[in-house]
Amino acid sequence: MTYQQRAAWQLRAILLPSVLLLLFLVIWPAVYSVWLSFTNVALVGPGAANPRFVGWKNYARLFGDASFWNSLLVTFWFVLGSAVIGQFVLGLVSAILLNRPLRLRPLINGILLLPNAVPEVVAGFIWISMLAGGDHAVLSRIVMAFGLAPQDWLNTFPLTAIIIVNTWRGIATAMILLTAGLSSVPEEVYEAAVMDGAKPFQVFRLITLPLILPTIFLYMLVSTVSTISIFGFVYALTRGGPGGATEILGIYIFNQSFTAYQLGYGAAVAVISLICSLIVGVTYVRALKVEV
Amino acid sequence: MALRHAGANPARGNAMAYAILSLISAYCAVPFFWAFLASVDGNASLFLKWPEDWTAANYTKVFLVEDGATWFFNSVVVVGCVTLLVMVLGGLGGYALSRTQAWWKRPFLYLILLIRVVPPPALIVPLYKVLLLANGAMQSLMRAVLPADWYRPAMRIFGFVDGYLGIILILTAMQLPLALWILKTFFDTVSKDYDEAALLDGASLTQRIRLVMLPLALPGLAAAGLFAFISAWGDFLMPLIFISSPELQMLPLGLFRAFLRVNTVDYGFLTALAVLYMIPSVVAFGLARRFLVQTFGGGVKG
Repeated sequence: MTYQQRAAWQLRAILLPSVLLLLFLVIWPAVYSVWLSFTNVALVGPGAANPRFVGWKNYARLFGDASFWNSLLVTFWFVLGSAVIGQFVLGLVSAILLNRPLRLRPLINGILLLPNAVPEVVAGFIWISMLAGGDHAVLSRIVMAFGLAPQDWLNTFPLTAIIIVNTWRGIATAMILLTAGLSSVPEEVYEAAVMDGAKPFQVFRLITLPLILPTIFLYMLVSTVSTISIFGFVYALTRGGPGGATEILGIYIFNQSFTAYQLGYGAAVAVISLICSLIVGVTYVRALKVEV
Repeated sequence: MALRHAGANPARGNAMAYAILSLISAYCAVPFFWAFLASVDGNASLFLKWPEDWTAANYTKVFLVEDGATWFFNSVVVVGCVTLLVMVLGGLGGYALSRTQAWWKRPFLYLILLIRVVPPPALIVPLYKVLLLANGAMQSLMRAVLPADWYRPAMRIFGFVDGYLGIILILTAMQLPLALWILKTFFDTVSKDYDEAALLDGASLTQRIRLVMLPLALPGLAAAGLFAFISAWGDFLMPLIFISSPELQMLPLGLFRAFLRVNTVDYGFLTALAVLYMIPSVVAFGLARRFLVQTFGGGVKG
């Protein structure tokens, strides 16, 4: 064996543990879930001991199931409201404003990053106080200052509530990525525009926005994928309730599999969510044109 | 930037910027105010208020009255092992991926990017089935080789379901793709001349990794380790499904179960626990801040 051959084998050997781990705990389960989705496997009862192949039965049930469509719709509004609109708008505004030479910039930067750093359950838990019912909760006090009625937010506007929390969590990621995009726009472009007498909003609409459009596109893909995988803080806040109003796909899978014990049906939902994520993922990889 | 150049009056522009940024900062910070203030309040409630009765009793309660010490211990052991494993596997694998010229390099890297978009909730059903099977095999092995009274403690450590080994391996697998990607791109920036010089001097693979690559790779390893730590420390789904024994309970479940006890909700204790739980990840996040841009979403700049 030549030394090049030996070096090639050594590289394969040190990569092997990672490959095995990903194979057994990610790739195999992903493939296995496709198989499970065609069986009646369950946690208890006859399906637990002897799961049978049932063909498209789970999918047929899925597409006729109002709670599945509800979950898909809730996920859509959740992604649209928090990732596409909330995080993006606030992240962009913060990125543009923090590009100014402000004295308090490091402090504000730190505060905006804080929600991103906390564990999922903590994020859910500390918002309970903001969204609680009664006149004393923070959000109710704010709307009362505008002359509106206080609410028990998690019961009256549950989906809006979790969109508010997820927006809060993700401003930082949007800001970081968009700041990187903004800093790649050369100074001279702005100077030329100002020379030509462009107003601030014109500069933004005609220069900044088109130049950071690729960054915005990437941000949308990344945040959509990561929002589809959310489970923790929503489960901690609402467990999908009330009445399925916040049952995003992750929670629907969990409830069907581990509360209703129907693993086969849960796997079918998982396959649908895998397909959605992979479509976005492939778009992402192609859009990146990654140099690997 | 646009506003800075175009604004006619920079002072007024700055005031506007501060006004808007203060609103956004308040949105970000208010929940934390409640958590901190309630945690030092002797009469903490669900609502934000200034404490009248300042106390540290809520914090001591976490460790003396409740099982906080157990939860912390388990979280530190599990997440510590995960971070270490991710750094070792990610370092070795990232080095191999950076240096190899084999045909599988490109497909493998695309596969890693795709694995990163797989939503963890979509994997819980098959993972549970796979690990239940592995756990059964481990049980028969342990029964065969160990004396009867060692069996239960051994399964706590080596069990795949409701044991340290299982949760450590799952969380490692979840964090590994990002680490491989970070370290692969990191090693791409380290010149191959170092490897080749060491090779010419007759260094073995272990020596090359230990003496040449390890010192050079420290920033990359730190970034990979910090990100793995933050997301494993904050993970809720996997401990929820794979850990059931009270003595193996980790912080996320400790906090979650504590605030589900309906009749005895003690907000002072809960917020103290939440504050203690968030401190390590906030510190790690502070340290990881400078790596955030490069590694965002699996390497925006490739």
